[in-house]
Amino acid sequence: MSSDKVVVRFRGVRKLYKLFASDKKRLLAVFLPHIPYSEKWAVDGIDFEIRQGESVAIFGVNGAGKSTVLKMVTGVTYPTEGDIFVDGRVSALLELTAGFDSELTGRENVVLKCQLMGMRDEEIAAKMQDIIDFAEIGEYIDQPTRTFSSGMLARLGFGISVTTDPEIFIVDEALSVGDSRFQAKCVRKVREIIERDQVTLLFVTHATETAARFCERGIVMKDGRIVFDGAISDAVALYEGGGY
Amino acid sequence: MQTFRTILLQHIVWRHQLLKLARADIVKTYSGSALGWAWAILKPAVTIFVFWFAFDIGLRIGRGQDYAGYPFILWFMAGMIPWFFMDEMLTEGANALRDYHYLVTKMRFPIATIPTFVSLSKLLIHLCLIGVTVVFFLCYGYAPDRYLLQLPIYMLLMLLFFIAWSQFACLLGAMSRDFYNLVGAMTQALFWLSGILYDVHTMDVPEWLRIILLFNPITFVANGYRNIFIYKVWIWEEPDVLLYFLIVLCVMTVLATRTYAKLYREVPDVL
Repeated sequence: MSSDKVVVRFRGVRKLYKLFASDKKRLLAVFLPHIPYSEKWAVDGIDFEIRQGESVAIFGVNGAGKSTVLKMVTGVTYPTEGDIFVDGRVSALLELTAGFDSELTGRENVVLKCQLMGMRDEEIAAKMQDIIDFAEIGEYIDQPTRTFSSGMLARLGFGISVTTDPEIFIVDEALSVGDSRFQAKCVRKVREIIERDQVTLLFVTHATETAARFCERGIVMKDGRIVFDGAISDAVALYEGGGY
Repeated sequence: MQTFRTILLQHIVWRHQLLKLARADIVKTYSGSALGWAWAILKPAVTIFVFWFAFDIGLRIGRGQDYAGYPFILWFMAGMIPWFFMDEMLTEGANALRDYHYLVTKMRFPIATIPTFVSLSKLLIHLCLIGVTVVFFLCYGYAPDRYLLQLPIYMLLMLLFFIAWSQFACLLGAMSRDFYNLVGAMTQALFWLSGILYDVHTMDVPEWLRIILLFNPITFVANGYRNIFIYKVWIWEEPDVLLYFLIVLCVMTVLATRTYAKLYREVPDVL
């Protein structure tokens, strides 16, 4: 299913978070060089390549660095060291939501989000009903998204992402809030776009059986490093077993 | 310089999206309240009424003084109208990245353009207020004249300065709430220290103090708007004042660009 074209490549990537004692110290550190902080290497030397059309699950306990990796692929956060190469339009559901403006209605958010992806107004109008139907939001679509439940936010975000032709699709936990029927629907839809459009999927979850249903490759992370990278069944076995 | 070019390029590439975001910003500000758009006019109207009442009726400062032959309220309005924009930009500008944190932390988006579309959104409200002002002057029997032609120049200069300010302030505001609170506290002080309620040119102060006051970009803008509506002075007739402003604009732009270069990688991690 996957081609030979590399769409994501990490080379010696490290990511440092500077932890300051307070906000005040952080502000001072902008101007003064010697403000002390503690270092947290969230990602500590990572190399991998992902080819077009691959579907990869990343496992790891909280704090293993999974989300940081996805954020770096998306381009919202920058590596401290190392090189990252990403080729293709990225659509990401980070930390459950797709990044909605809580004051705008669901419909306005869909329009805005699509506009930000560079779609024209006619295209957006054509896809609007598909998105609403997929997300099963109904008449809530015209309410501000601050009134949405986390499940509704995740569904709407998922709906936008899968109907707007992503090339690299990043899902961070977003499936875990939906009910099992919606999860099944998402799995079907994701499989469909992977097979039809050669979409590359990067998927972070704790639900190993969901991952096993549509990923071929699994990466297990621990303390900011990759401890396993290979077939999904082996990755699940290792992660579930916990002996890594 | 490289950073400045990058920022300009991002603006060009994302120009369509910026206009859409500016529109969304307006929709967001004024939807969800029953009076909606009316608030954009009502809030300034109340402020102007209060000041007019306190100064003209209460303290009688407006009486007996010469405002180039204009009633106090028109003189005050001409300087106050741009303040509403500047006030919003001072505080909201410092908060722009926090308001739009989802553009920073949830998708790939050039964060240097966030202050720009926020400014454009506020500018539209400002244009509405200018419309009201012109009508107000008409009601008093003062028709628009050729001096109104230089309004776009002052507006552009004001916009450029506050985009640069916001570029600088939103990054620091994202790094720490202390900075945002500091700006909030400073805004009131700036209002009273700027030439909005008095004319810096005719103040009875030593020359060195006058020059310091004229370096204040808020004074420049308020003064410029009065040159248009009241004093009927062309912008090139006060070259020293324009020069002071351009110096401050350059310093602010350099400061904003350097702050961006220093902080843009860190900001997504702290929001």
